[in-house]
Parts: sequence; structure tokens; C-alpha cells
Amino acid sequence: MFDYHHFPVIAVMILFLGAFLVEIFGAKNKAVRNTIAIVVAGISTVCIYALIKPVFFDGEVISYWMGNWAPVSGYAIGIGYEVDALNLFFALLTVTTFFLSGIYSIRYMEKDEHLGHYYTLFLMLSGGVLGLVLTGDVFNMFVMIEIMTFAAVALTAFRNRSFGALEGAFKYLALGSIGSSMTLAGIAVLYMSCHTLNMAQLSSILGSQPLNPTTVFAFALMFAGLAVKAFIVPFHTPAADAYMVAPTSVSMMFSGMVNKAGVYGMIRLCYTIFHAMDQSSLQILLVAFGCVTMFVGVTMALAQHDFKRLLAFHSISQIGYVITAIGLSTAVGLSAGLFHAMNHTLFKGLLFLTAGAVLKATGTTNLDKLGGLSKKMPLTTICFLVGAFSISGLPPFNGFASKWMVYQAAYAKAVTTGNFFYAVVTIVAVVVSVMTLASFIKVTQACFFGQCPDSLKDTKEVPFSMRLPMWILSVACLASGVFYNFVYEKVLYPAMVATLNTVKYIDSMMGAGYSAAAGVQNHLVDAPRLSVWDPISWLLLFVICLVAICLVVVLGDKTRGRLSDAEGEPQDGKYATFFGGEHALHSHVGGSDLFWGFKKDFKGYFNVVQGAHDGNVNTYASWVVIATAVIAIFMVIFVK
Amino acid sequence: MIIVNYCVSIMLICLGLYAVTMKKDLIKVVIGLGIIDYGVNLFIVSVGFNDGGTAPIYTIAELLNGAASTYFVDPVPQALTLTSIVIGACVDAMALALVVMIYRKYHSINADDVRRIRG
Repeated sequence: MFDYHHFPVIAVMILFLGAFLVEIFGAKNKAVRNTIAIVVAGISTVCIYALIKPVFFDGEVISYWMGNWAPVSGYAIGIGYEVDALNLFFALLTVTTFFLSGIYSIRYMEKDEHLGHYYTLFLMLSGGVLGLVLTGDVFNMFVMIEIMTFAAVALTAFRNRSFGALEGAFKYLALGSIGSSMTLAGIAVLYMSCHTLNMAQLSSILGSQPLNPTTVFAFALMFAGLAVKAFIVPFHTPAADAYMVAPTSVSMMFSGMVNKAGVYGMIRLCYTIFHAMDQSSLQILLVAFGCVTMFVGVTMALAQHDFKRLLAFHSISQIGYVITAIGLSTAVGLSAGLFHAMNHTLFKGLLFLTAGAVLKATGTTNLDKLGGLSKKMPLTTICFLVGAFSISGLPPFNGFASKWMVYQAAYAKAVTTGNFFYAVVTIVAVVVSVMTLASFIKVTQACFFGQCPDSLKDTKEVPFSMRLPMWILSVACLASGVFYNFVYEKVLYPAMVATLNTVKYIDSMMGAGYSAAAGVQNHLVDAPRLSVWDPISWLLLFVICLVAICLVVVLGDKTRGRLSDAEGEPQDGKYATFFGGEHALHSHVGGSDLFWGFKKDFKGYFNVVQGAHDGNVNTYASWVVIATAVIAIFMVIFVK
Repeated sequence: MIIVNYCVSIMLICLGLYAVTMKKDLIKVVIGLGIIDYGVNLFIVSVGFNDGGTAPIYTIAELLNGAASTYFVDPVPQALTLTSIVIGACVDAMALALVVMIYRKYHSINADDVRRIRG
């Protein structure tokens, strides 16, 4: 009765339709508004989930021409939607995120005014991201990027009376707009040399001949434009501000699907359209950006005192893992990147929701003012711990499985290419994971354990409809960590094969035999299935290591190590515990200062990095311009 | 001359980037964003332009068997530019609205003052 070929288009259109219906009918009436938003998001979710069987299990690629404007004599003339396993993978992340965020919003946003506008923008953002990951046309992709960016900016500024909301929104708008303009310029240059906008046709034209400087320049512009949307360092600054000041349900959508849309765009661009991922120069570019992203993200996170800003920097850092993994351009690396992207959606969504629960219950996200919430909000605490264990990569949660694959892929790359750079990458990835754990210990101590301040004595647990999405995500975090093999076989493997199988992508859209006629071949054809790894044995190893470290600490030489002093620290008794003295009895180091010693030892680095994030829109914009120039010069010289 | 269009569009983009990166006044930053947009739009229109080209009104059959002169102005970039202009106008409106609200709250539109979130 229902032809599933129409589902991708219905899923996108119904969201935009819902956006208008909410604005017309839901401005006054709460029940109507919530019903429309949830029903519309639900229909879209069901439409996308219904595609799992044909696309993942049967291996079909759904192609859909708007208004049935099929290609004429090999030229695409209409706008096409194309859903292969990679598109569907990101579409699934998107619909899951906005559906859960929608449920969470009902109670979380209940005290805000103008909720009609909120749901309009909410559905526009969802539709923009979903359209971006499903479309097969580069200009349509640009339009969806713009819808996504401006709905996101408006949502960032939604609570415009709260601290910094307007400022964060303005910076996001300025940088996002530069990014969009660069994407558009890239699309125009590409159109100039290929005379088409359809991704499949572009792919077949660009794959049948070596890239020339014009197309490489277009590549660089689009790459930089999408990097702004994926929030890769040094394009990351709007993310840190926007995630912090936006309502938490929106922060969850930002980290769950908006930056994933950027990641999707980069995968599509590098692998499918430009066939460039077999070039070691581009691999090194992506991996280097990924490493810098994860390192800068996590070190900035260590220095934060705001719960949501800390999570924002972790979000940036985890995207670094994804970019590193997809930049490795091996089958293992690509599946690791996709797996980590999926896990990041799950655990970072969960962490943002717990941060939102804390904000709703206590009215603040400042870690210096929080503490001891585990007794007041036990269920939220459990959810937070699941999320924190997952993001820090503790077995058996999902973060472990995907990070382990990233290390494995990076090290395998170092062995096969003999390039020392990839060995360093592996080490950086492990170190960043350790620092992630460290900073989550800090949050756990500062927010959920430790002393409960008097101002938070009558904190209540959040309502059921806010807990439900948290429980769903917690279970998903655990399940995808334990049944990693199932996830790999059923979801990641098809998505990875679809990414590498450009010929099938072109042929499904333009007609069978099209790519053979144009002379396009798959560059990366090896897609071996991964050998099985077992998180439980790693859990055992982890326990053994822990015991060994404890033994060394207990039995080891106690006098080793430098002596530290409090010079240059504020003499307010905060650190006196460590130096003795009068104040020692009455002071304690706050949970949010747990790593002050670490920060003090590396203060040269921390001062430079924190000073660089000076909050000035001009500085951030110049980073974007300089980084784009560097990318363009690098690519024009090295990418052939 | 089509080359003039390309030079001017690149100049506009650079000018816009200069305004966004160097000017402290947020209104000037918004103007800079607008100028980048105009530069890109001019570039796209120039991509499809053919000096002395005709209007693109042919049937597919005429095009394929060469009955029609294929020397026409490409209509696709013009459609793209229209879309882009509409989006650009919305961006400017929204950015200016944000600047107005920032002025109400911070009593300044100097980029050095509007940086409470940092570090």
C-alpha cells in the first residue's frame, strides 16, 4: 500500500509542513502545539526507520526524482534524493535525536514564552538536517545547510534574556554565514567546470578524469564550508558558545545531528564526489585536523567551569575522533568513524539531557555552585554516569568499542604505511581519551558527588517525560557497547560499504551502466570484515591495570615528584589544603578545581589556548579565513 | 567583458572578509557578511553568462540533434542566484535583529565589549 520510495521525501516535507502548522494553529494552545510537533516528528521517524529493511538488509539504494524529472540522455535535470546506507545511517541518527529531543522539550521548555516559535524553529532545524543528509543534489544541500544554520541560530538566541544567548547566536550567525558563502562559492566553481549539480553525476564526471586546479579549489571551498558546520578546530568557536547558551534540548540536537550533518557532508565530499580519499595528502590533512580538534577540544574542556560549555568542548573533541577515523581511509577506520559518530550522538545526547535536568532542577549549570546532587536526583545521576563512562571509553559501554576501533585503525595505518605520523595519532587519541575521563571525574565530583550547597537542599528529581529520553539513550549506550558485533554487522558494515561503493551510488541514480560508460571505478574496494574483539576481556585487562597502578601508588616511592607551591595562585585559601597553614582546616578544593595542579603545570599551554578564545567575533572570523586559505593552498598544491 | 565580473566578485568577497575580520562595529560586520554574499552572487551569475547568448528556450530534441544553437545563457545559475539572494536577505535581517537586541542588552555594539563568553 505504501511505496517506501516516497518515504525520504515525506520524512523531510512533513517536518516543514509541521513547522507551518505549529505556527498557525499552535501559537496559543499548548496541547495542539505539542501534539502537532510530536506527531510530525514521529511520522518522520517512522518513515526513516521503515527504510532500514530495504536499504540496510536488502542493500537497495533508493533514488527519487522530485516531480519525476528523471535524467535525460545522461544529464540530471531535476532535484534528486538518494538514500544509500550512508545517508540512511546519518538520517537514523537525526530522527532519533530530534524525536527524543521533542519529547524532552515538552516539559523542559514549559516555563518559556512563545513556544509556538520554538516548535516552528525546532521542526525547521530537524527538516533542514534531514534534508541535508538525504539529498543527492549539491545546491539542495546548500539550501538545507542554510535552513539548518539559521534555525539553529534562532534557537540559540531563543532564551534571549539569559546570559550570553544573543552573543553566542551572533557569533554563530557570522561564522555560519561565512561558511555557507564558501560552500556556495565552491558549488559555483564546481558548476563552472562540470555543468551539473547532481552528486552522482558530479561524481562520475570527476571520477573519470584527474582533478584539475579548478575542481580542487572548489573542493577546498566546500571542504572548509562543511568544516564550519562540523565544528572542526579552528572553525569550532561558535559551537562552544552556542551549545552553552542554547536551551538544552537544542544543545542536544546541535551535538547529536547538526555537527553530524557536517561530518556526513565531508564524508560524501571526500569519498564519493571527489574520489580523493586514496591520496595520502588528503588523508594527512583530515587526520591532522582531527587530531588538533580532539586535543584542543579536550584541553579546553578541562579548563571549563560551566557544565554545558564543558560538554560543548567535549563534543568538539569527539568530532575530532570521527574526522581522524574517516581520514584514515581504510575500511576499519571508516567503520570506526561511523561507529563513533553514532555513539557520540547517543552519549553526548544523554549528557546534554542530564545537564538540562540539572539546569531545570537547580537553575544553574555553573560547576562551582553545584554539588551533591546524587542524593537529590539519583536517576539522573545514574544516567549521567552511563554517559560519562561511555564518552570516556570505559568497557563495556559503546565509547570503548568505537574508540578501540579508532586506535586499532590508526595503528594499523601506521604499520601498513610505515608512516610515523599515524603512530603519533594513535598516542594522541589514547591521551585524549584519558583526559576525557579526567574531566568527567571532575564533573561527577563537582556536580553529583561532593557537598551539597545549602541553596540546593530542596532540589527535586525531574518529571518522567524528561527522564524517558535519558533512559532510552542510556540503554542504547549500553546495548551498542555490548552487542557491538550486531551493530557492526547490521548497520556499520553496510554504511561503510556504501561509502566506498561509488559505482553503485552513481548507477542507482543515473541508470545502470552509467559509471562504466564514464569510466569510473571504485578506488577503495577492500572492505574486509573486522576481526571480533571482546570488550569483556578488555574489562579484565583494565581491572588488572588498575590493580597494578594502585599497587605502585601504595608501595611506590612516596617522595618522588616535584614539590609544588602556591606562588601565583590566588591566596584565598582555596588551595590551602595542599600547602598547610591556617586556612587548611576550613577549606576544600572545589570539585571543579580538581585538576588545578595539572593546569598549573601546563599553564603555558592553557594560558595561550584560553587566551586565544577571546570571545571576539573578529578573531574567530579571522581564524576561519586563515584556515580556509591554508586548506585551499594545501589542496591546490598537494591534491591531484 | 566577463573577466571584469570575476575580478569584481573576488574583490567584493575579499572586501567583505576584510570587514568581518577587521571592523569592530557589529553593524559593519553584518555589512561585511552581506558584501561576501553579493560577491558570491555576482560570481554565480557570471558563471552562466555567455556574451551575446540567447534565451534558453529549446526542446530537448532540438538541443540533442543540434537544430538549435547551443550558445545560450545558462539559466541554472540565475535560479541559484535568486535563491541565494533571498537567503542572503534573511541572513541580513536576522543579523541586524540580533545586533539591535545586543545593543539593548550590552549598550554597545563594539565587538570588544560583546565578549562575555570566552576562555
